[in-house]
Amino acid sequence: MGWTAVCLDADLPERVVIAAHHGDTEIAVWRSATGQLAAWADRCPHRGMRLSHGFVRGEALNCIYHGWTYGADGACTRIPAHPGLIPPATIRAQRFACVQARGLIWVGALGLQTLLPDLAGLIPVRSLVAEVSVDQLAHCFGPQDGPVWRGEHAGLPFGIYVQPLGGARCLVHLLVQDRQHCIAASRWIEGVRDSAERGATP
Amino acid sequence: MIPQANLDAWYPVAMAAPVTRAGQETRLLGMPIRVFRENDGSIAVHGPAGPLPVRQRFDHVWASPGNPAQDLFTIPQAEAIGRRHVPCGVVRVKCSPLRAVENFLDIAHFPFVHTDVLGAEPHTEVNRYEVAIRDDVDEVWATKVTFYQPQAAKSAAGGITTEYMYRVPAPTAAVLYKTCPARPGEWDVITIFVQPLAEDLCDVWPWMALYDDTTPTAELIAFQQMIFLQDRSILENQIPRLLPLDPGMEVPTQADMTSIAYRRWLKRHGLTYGAQMVAA
Repeated sequence: MGWTAVCLDADLPERVVIAAHHGDTEIAVWRSATGQLAAWADRCPHRGMRLSHGFVRGEALNCIYHGWTYGADGACTRIPAHPGLIPPATIRAQRFACVQARGLIWVGALGLQTLLPDLAGLIPVRSLVAEVSVDQLAHCFGPQDGPVWRGEHAGLPFGIYVQPLGGARCLVHLLVQDRQHCIAASRWIEGVRDSAERGATP
Repeated sequence: MIPQANLDAWYPVAMAAPVTRAGQETRLLGMPIRVFRENDGSIAVHGPAGPLPVRQRFDHVWASPGNPAQDLFTIPQAEAIGRRHVPCGVVRVKCSPLRAVENFLDIAHFPFVHTDVLGAEPHTEVNRYEVAIRDDVDEVWATKVTFYQPQAAKSAAGGITTEYMYRVPAPTAAVLYKTCPARPGEWDVITIFVQPLAEDLCDVWPWMALYDDTTPTAELIAFQQMIFLQDRSILENQIPRLLPLDPGMEVPTQADMTSIAYRRWLKRHGLTYGAQMVAA
């Protein structure tokens, strides 16, 4: 599979880790104190705890369960229960490619060469979860041309980029062309989401 | 298919005192059971095929869906005069019952999960301790476990290095013997009794036998519940939910010697309900 837009660039500040999906894979995406991004399988190799519940210190992500510390390359650098031990190089988080582009953070398989979807001319506004499938959401926007639904609301162009989250859920990223349109477009997309969810619930 | 070894074990199914004649419905190893009081005041447990063997011990009701070869374990230290017995209610956790037990046997998480209560950075080191599967009693024991704790118990003021012993006398029960701040030389007894509702769902019944005549019961229970709710935030977020028994899926370290022995003991006896045998 290709790239997944997991969140807005602005929604992941320094020293923060979030849970996200890449297809069926649960991942932890985090940003270090100096702004470096990383995306890993959401599972500490030690006891399987979700790394997205962990905490960022400096350039490392720490598991919340036993404080095991992982550096930017995914390798475990510290096991607090044994401060004198240099962790074996085999203990490492499973890495994914992670880049930021056009105001979004993208995750893909390590070494993925595919180009990012073309979002030219659009600024991301917000992300929201809709409790409907991509197909159900499609009824609201009509036929899709390329990876982004493009349309007009109140005479202003917008784009919708949708990521399936598995089951009847998806993550919707709203983009606009004109910054002045942010608030109106944001309210409008909530209404679209609400009516799609109502339609989805018998 | 539930392993025979699991069917023939003892499990907690209720706190004894509140059981009424009308009784209560619950589950054991996925089977519906009913716990109720007979006319003579004794407590009975019925499964889909009829009455189950029952014991009443440690303020709880215990039952076995099979034919246990051994009687329910005892805790002689807890019987001593002057001990206060404190059943702490129940916490339902969406995890394997085996993961709940394993977490109870773990001390390395104290500074990160029970921060400033059972542990605090930079006091994170776990010293070497002794672990054995005792053949005479067929139990897992960890002894000479020491750890620095900022507030080891409700009755502790300030930080101390606490000594512990851990014991696994049944597949889903664990006993902790812990330095008693109020009475040097004695051990506080803290247990968890885990009721497997399903392979990935359990009710955890903490129970304590303490030398503490001053702390109100409500405070003792609140302290234990606080600790266990912190544990729950971990237990419901481990992947996979079942406990991996084959190496490869998880990476233990020296601090995990009790957990390694517990997994080995489960595997040796075929106690695989709630376990995952093959790395996914």
